[in-house]
Amino acid sequence: MGYETYILVIGYIFGFYMSWNIGANDVANSMASAVGAKAITLKQAVFIAGILNVVGATFLGSHVTDTIRKGIVSTHILTDPNLALIGALSALLASALWVSFATWKSLPVSTTHSIVGAMIGFGIMAGGVSVINWTKLGGVVLSWVISPLFSMMIAYLMLKVIIRFVISAKDSFNQALKLAPFFISLTCFVVVLSFLFKTPLGQNLQLKTHSVVIIAVITTILLGFLGSLLVKHLVKKVNVNRGAEEIFRKIQIGTSCYVALAQGANDVANAIGPLAVIYFLVKTGTVAETIPVPTFLLLFGGVGIACGISMAGYRVMETLGTKITTLTNTRGFSVDFAAATTVLIASKMGLPVSTTHAAVGGVMGVGLARGIEAINFRIVLKIMLYWVLTVPASAITSMAIFWLLKLIV
Amino acid sequence: MRIPFLSIFMTSPFDGLQEHAEKVKEVAWAFQQAMECYVITRCTTFEDLRNEVIELEREADAIKRRIRGHLPKGTLMVVDKFQLFRYLREQDSVLDAVEDALDWISYRPEPGVPEELQQDFFMLVDATIDPIEELARMVSEARKYFGNFSDKQRSVVKDIIRTLRRMEHDADRLEDTLKRKVFALANDPVSVFHLVRLTETIGHIADHAQNAGDMMRAMIAK
Repeated sequence: MGYETYILVIGYIFGFYMSWNIGANDVANSMASAVGAKAITLKQAVFIAGILNVVGATFLGSHVTDTIRKGIVSTHILTDPNLALIGALSALLASALWVSFATWKSLPVSTTHSIVGAMIGFGIMAGGVSVINWTKLGGVVLSWVISPLFSMMIAYLMLKVIIRFVISAKDSFNQALKLAPFFISLTCFVVVLSFLFKTPLGQNLQLKTHSVVIIAVITTILLGFLGSLLVKHLVKKVNVNRGAEEIFRKIQIGTSCYVALAQGANDVANAIGPLAVIYFLVKTGTVAETIPVPTFLLLFGGVGIACGISMAGYRVMETLGTKITTLTNTRGFSVDFAAATTVLIASKMGLPVSTTHAAVGGVMGVGLARGIEAINFRIVLKIMLYWVLTVPASAITSMAIFWLLKLIV
Repeated sequence: MRIPFLSIFMTSPFDGLQEHAEKVKEVAWAFQQAMECYVITRCTTFEDLRNEVIELEREADAIKRRIRGHLPKGTLMVVDKFQLFRYLREQDSVLDAVEDALDWISYRPEPGVPEELQQDFFMLVDATIDPIEELARMVSEARKYFGNFSDKQRSVVKDIIRTLRRMEHDADRLEDTLKRKVFALANDPVSVFHLVRLTETIGHIADHAQNAGDMMRAMIAK
């Protein structure tokens, strides 16, 4: 085995450690509203999150990967393959260590922000401050502000719509049953669109944009009706007293899948981005402006996340059900829908946003719509503090590891 | 294990409000027994019952402090924070008024209530117990309204508030009658003063229940 094979093996290990961390750290946030609103049990949450993170990562997750790498750090520092290898390794390890530390200390950090910070750290070490593309970085930072706001808006509007048209109705149970196809279609729409846009599957079909939209609309309407038939079947035996909440409880099983899918699609890039660089360098010796991310790497990342979820996520989620008592299913649905939609759209646009922040934004939106008896808005300040902290913290860690590795190699 | 995301969710102050309302209800029952004991002469358990009320009041006070102390800056609720506090204060004043009435009796336990007035006292006490019992129901119905924002549920709460107002009015009329009778029966000035003041204090209980209703009306305003 050559020296490069060793590097690749280490890259796999670090990549796996990072994706494991993502699973352990982020899953609680994304599944919180479904578990908290008692739509799914703990076991179901772990199962859904595990499987659908893999699916989302593998089939929806190819686009973000290159933006993190090429957007923020200029590629000319990557011309030296040796330096690039070490850099990608240190970025991976640094962000993984920082996320582990944050998980241990219960700090509200984002895995996405960690990897961005680590990449910056490596960039500065390899080529000085000038290699950082500040405009691109500014755009990324802006997306961190916009994504929770966007999610907040969607959640707010969604809950207002539900209040206006469903739960304030005289017979909210049947009203919810009647409108179920609409809500289910809406949930499926973004997923179907994402499948058709910018994935190997969509490109194979070679569709024009407008036909994609038409296909998506038709598919989602069909899925909506199928879904509502399923919901009708599921709620046959329940009591009507809980009204619309019971219907949304069933729909929320679907939206929690949606969240897991979006999370997989978005977060896999955090672990697989640097790993893809290593893989490409080892295989070809050079690195281009954009590199294709092999599907098996995405699958690898997805499996890593799933492992993190199944090993650490269970324990984390156990506290969810007892801690979140004020969330009902209509609220949970709004949060899930908003967070997943935001993350999936951002991920398709190539913006590295945080699933956690989208989820927080969703809860805020529901709170603003007066949907939760009491929420603590001040968490926003705390999260913002850790935005500001995470990037330099993981950057400095990455710089230190880079320096160490350079000494060794 | 602490999860950062969870700190966004907090214990609902309405849980506490509900708990407090239930305490008020318990106090109402103890108060009723204490009053029966006082009005019917040769009852020895009055002090025990009064102590029970004091104990319950202390517990309710703890709940009140818990609610107030656990709403940090930046809390977003279905209602305005200070509306909630004002409501809580009125609900708590019901308790204070009950305690005041029992304290007042304890200053001068003898010679009790003249036989001619006993029936009226019972009626007044019953008239103040009814609105207190409504409070707990009002809180729980209001929570349902904050859950679904349906107009139907809103009118359920408004009906309770209307009932509270009517009950307070009834209690007022009973209070007037009772005071008139006390003066008509006037034997010694000290007894008159004691009974009139007692009547007024009992009347306050219903007043505060009605005020709580009015505060609730403000909370469910669109």
